[in-house]
Amino acid sequence: MQGIILFVFLVSTYLMVIAKRIPALISSFRYQSLCLAAITIIIALTQHEPYLYIIAGLLFALKVSLIPYILYRIIRKINVNEDLGLFVNPQLSMLWALAFTYLSWVFASFLVGTNNAMLTITLAIAFFVVLSGIFLMIFRMTALSQIIGLLVMENGIFLLASTVSGGMPFFVEIAIFFDVLVSVLIMGFFIYRINKLFTHIDVNKLSRLKG
Amino acid sequence: MKLILHIFVFILVSPLLSGLISKIKNNLRMRKGQSIFQPYYNLTKLFSKGEVISETASWIFRVAPFVVLSSTLTAAILVLVGFFNNSIHQMGDFIALIFIFALGRFFLSLAALDTGSSFGGMGSSREMFISSLVEPAMFMVIFAVSLQFGSTNISAFGSLHTVSASSIVAAVALFLIVIAETSRIPVDNQETHLELTMIHEAMVLEYSGRSLALIELASYIKQMIYFSLIAQLIFPVGPSEGNFTQIILWFLWYLSRLGIIALVVALVEISVAKMRLFRAADFLGFAFVLGVIATVCAILGV
Amino acid sequence: MTDFLLQKLFLFDPLSIFFLAVILIICIPSLIYSFGYLKGEYSAAKIALAQILLFFFVSSMVLVVSVSNCLVFLLFWEIMSLVSYFLVIFDIKHSKSIRAGLIYIVMTHIGTAFIIGAFVVLYKYSRSFDFLAIKNAVQAMPLQTKNIVFLLFLIGFGTKAGIVPLHIWLPYAHPQAPSHISSIMSGVMIKTAIYGIIRFVIFELGVASSWWGALVLILAIISCLAGVIYALMEHDIKRLLAYHSVENIGIILLGVGLGMFFISLNLPYLAVFSLIAGLYHLINHAIFKGLLFLCAGSVYKTTGTRNIEKLGGLIKKMPYTAACFLLGALAISALPPFNGFVSEWLTLQAFILGAFDVIGGNKLFLGLCGAMLALTSGLAAACFVKAFGVTFLGQARSYHAHNAKEVSLSMKIGMSFLALLTVIFGLAAALIIKLLAKVSASALGIDISSMSFSINNFTLSVQPAKGVYLSTPMVALGLIIFGVVSFVIYRVINSYKPRVYKTWDCGYYKLDSANEYTATAFSKPFRIAFSFFLLPYRRTQKIRESFYHVKSFSYETRTTKIFKKYIYDPTLVLVLRVAKSMRKIQPGSIHLYLGYIFITLLLMIMFMSKF
Repeated sequence: MQGIILFVFLVSTYLMVIAKRIPALISSFRYQSLCLAAITIIIALTQHEPYLYIIAGLLFALKVSLIPYILYRIIRKINVNEDLGLFVNPQLSMLWALAFTYLSWVFASFLVGTNNAMLTITLAIAFFVVLSGIFLMIFRMTALSQIIGLLVMENGIFLLASTVSGGMPFFVEIAIFFDVLVSVLIMGFFIYRINKLFTHIDVNKLSRLKG
Repeated sequence: MKLILHIFVFILVSPLLSGLISKIKNNLRMRKGQSIFQPYYNLTKLFSKGEVISETASWIFRVAPFVVLSSTLTAAILVLVGFFNNSIHQMGDFIALIFIFALGRFFLSLAALDTGSSFGGMGSSREMFISSLVEPAMFMVIFAVSLQFGSTNISAFGSLHTVSASSIVAAVALFLIVIAETSRIPVDNQETHLELTMIHEAMVLEYSGRSLALIELASYIKQMIYFSLIAQLIFPVGPSEGNFTQIILWFLWYLSRLGIIALVVALVEISVAKMRLFRAADFLGFAFVLGVIATVCAILGV
Repeated sequence: MTDFLLQKLFLFDPLSIFFLAVILIICIPSLIYSFGYLKGEYSAAKIALAQILLFFFVSSMVLVVSVSNCLVFLLFWEIMSLVSYFLVIFDIKHSKSIRAGLIYIVMTHIGTAFIIGAFVVLYKYSRSFDFLAIKNAVQAMPLQTKNIVFLLFLIGFGTKAGIVPLHIWLPYAHPQAPSHISSIMSGVMIKTAIYGIIRFVIFELGVASSWWGALVLILAIISCLAGVIYALMEHDIKRLLAYHSVENIGIILLGVGLGMFFISLNLPYLAVFSLIAGLYHLINHAIFKGLLFLCAGSVYKTTGTRNIEKLGGLIKKMPYTAACFLLGALAISALPPFNGFVSEWLTLQAFILGAFDVIGGNKLFLGLCGAMLALTSGLAAACFVKAFGVTFLGQARSYHAHNAKEVSLSMKIGMSFLALLTVIFGLAAALIIKLLAKVSASALGIDISSMSFSINNFTLSVQPAKGVYLSTPMVALGLIIFGVVSFVIYRVINSYKPRVYKTWDCGYYKLDSANEYTATAFSKPFRIAFSFFLLPYRRTQKIRESFYHVKSFSYETRTTKIFKKYIYDPTLVLVLRVAKSMRKIQPGSIHLYLGYIFITLLLMIMFMSKF
């Protein structure tokens, strides 16, 4: 069961990497978060940690519902060109994603050793998700993709923490969630302002501001 | 008591030294010149005259002659007690002497600036220039002499009984310094009437009457003190003691040493021309080098 | 708990108490002065801010000299530097203030960096930050390390003290600060750097080799000469005083350096004596420099200008300030019977006495250093004749000087307190030297129960066996008696009243202030004599209407500041050039920066396993 959900998790990440338009990116992010919530519930069931249910619920509420909703609202409000602004075209991005997957598989197996296959796979996927978050931040032009890259990274780290140690301490989780929420709100506000000032959210144009 | 009498006689004799120098110079110039006692006549004349004070001058101008004379008299007490009595002096020593002279010079320079005339400013600028360059040379001389004797006390000078190479060289350095300090050619001309070539005279240009007499008296006493120091280095003599005739003889020997120094000064004044002001730095630098040589001789024990 | 803290944290040995006394003696008159000075210059809120900053400044200095823990020392040292920075740029309307503050803060932080480096090395050997623990642990340090720590401390504290060539912030910062702050900075703050040198090099490290003392002596002589020669060329009255601070720090360091030199040669009496000379000059300089800055502040406040070429004749308009300035000038020129004379006498005697007990070549070295000190004192006297004469005497050279008025009461009280102290510290030299002997002995760690420095309460005796004495009360008495005698002669000899008339004008009918000697002209002989160091240049320009008629003539003379030109400007250019070339890795693109972060993280993760 866990394997299938992980597989869907992985596929949604690939979808994010090759997405060409902003709504596509956001919806793949929703799928990813949904899978993550499911995995958390499974872990909660197997490891009998009750508070993980709360975490899963928060995950569902924030990352599956609230944050994408905020992001959709921002897009509609600023009425921007929905092109994501790719530095690297989708086919090449896919190749990079495959390379990253292989790298994280090697790294995970180096860490874990040869006994636990499930753990290796989960670890590899977690690393890959973090790497793909960074990829999104670096190689996409709009400011929105930077937020989403951050959120994806956070997803990856969450997965890593849950598998390795049964989740981080409760309060840390809560703090991280609120952190993420607040940063999204702030970023949303700023994107709105950036667009108002510059009539675009192309971060590439920021380089004009250097001293 | 004897001491105070000694000092009083010395102060009375000091203008004579200046008169002697100008008499010798004039004789060497094939002129009859003024009499030896001319400085006394000058002082008497000045004391009997009234005074004119500039309206831009402040209290510093009026006070400066007193400060100059009192500092010179204090220095005279310091030196002469040390020489005459060979007693260890609790008032101060050689270094204090230099600074006491500096006090008089400071006030005189200020008084020169006080009147607001350009000649006064010129005089005080040049005087401070020369006196600040004198300081290192003077210190090296003191250093050399105290290395020889072992203390900077003035009675150390007064009880040097031997003449060594170090003290001769120090005496020559001191001689050059004294030429600068007492405003003699080649550093400064006491007989000039051109304001642009004066140094000491330009500082006292505005003074007249009694104040000028006080300042002139102070410069005679200062000259006497410096000549005594040089004479002590070259012909050392012990303190005066004994009965009346011995004291008189001692006095005569003392004054004749000063006379010899005066002769040498007069000869130097006749022979060379006054230097350009900025060359005085080289002149005093040479005195400094002589002082260093004297120190080296003293270190080597020669 | 507080008892324990106080015991562990504060060290009230004689050295600290001495510096506390110095701080309080200067800060209290400056505080009284500041009430009159700040009133009318700024708004009430800004004055309140100034006083609050002053409070923090003084308390940080008090704490710097009394704590006994390296970290706490650093903390208060930083607070002192930062608060003084705010005070330097207090007059924020002038752009010069901001520039002065920038140079000051950069230099003081460079110095602090060196001090931190020295503390780090000390911690490595002693595993503790407490002063006494470090002192015990230092015995085991190898000589090379001690040398390095000494050099680090010297550069670090030297930047704050103003040793040449690290003095460059002094002539910028001191003129721009408000005058009471200048007096505290110049009188006390740079002395805390001397406290640092004495505390850390002498007390903690214990002077290990004689080249330490010789190096300090050479640096001190260079500071003396450079300071006084630059001061002679200055016409801004506070800049002149700032350069004199550089010179006097050199004189203080001569005493301290001699103490280091003699203690490394195992001559305890001479070491204590030299350090006494240094400490005496320290407190004397604090007093008379504080006084001079307060007087300069008074002049600035009434006339609005610091340029002495535009002043003149102030002695008649501000007699009180002029008298205080005169006392300060007499003290700084080392004239008897004031306090500067005693400390310079002591330093010169230290050179001469030291020459008896050292071997051959060192004797000549000491003699030459002493001669240079004598030269600086002569030059300082010349400079103050210029400063006092051109500012206060003669006729007024400008409208502002013409309309000057005497200052308010609080300023007068501040100035007269310090003026009184110059006289007291000169006359009571024999008493003060006994106190200083205790301070000096505790810093050096020598027992002085068998040494005596004064034979009674009036006379200093340096070597009673050979008979070297100085009695300032007797000198003063002699001067007063003979002054009275000459005055009596003057009055008795004839009874003419002096007639007041115009200055002799050589035939020109109207003499006014344009005929007076200017300060530039006064310092011309010095400019020429020291031209190898000052590198002056002048430019003259004639504007002619025809070959025979010159319409106007302009004359400009300037000296080159060799330290700025040959050390600091090239360094600055180099730093800026390196920074500019580093800019190439910053094109402004966020993606590139994210890429940098990512790659760095990757590399760290990959290589982390190696460690």
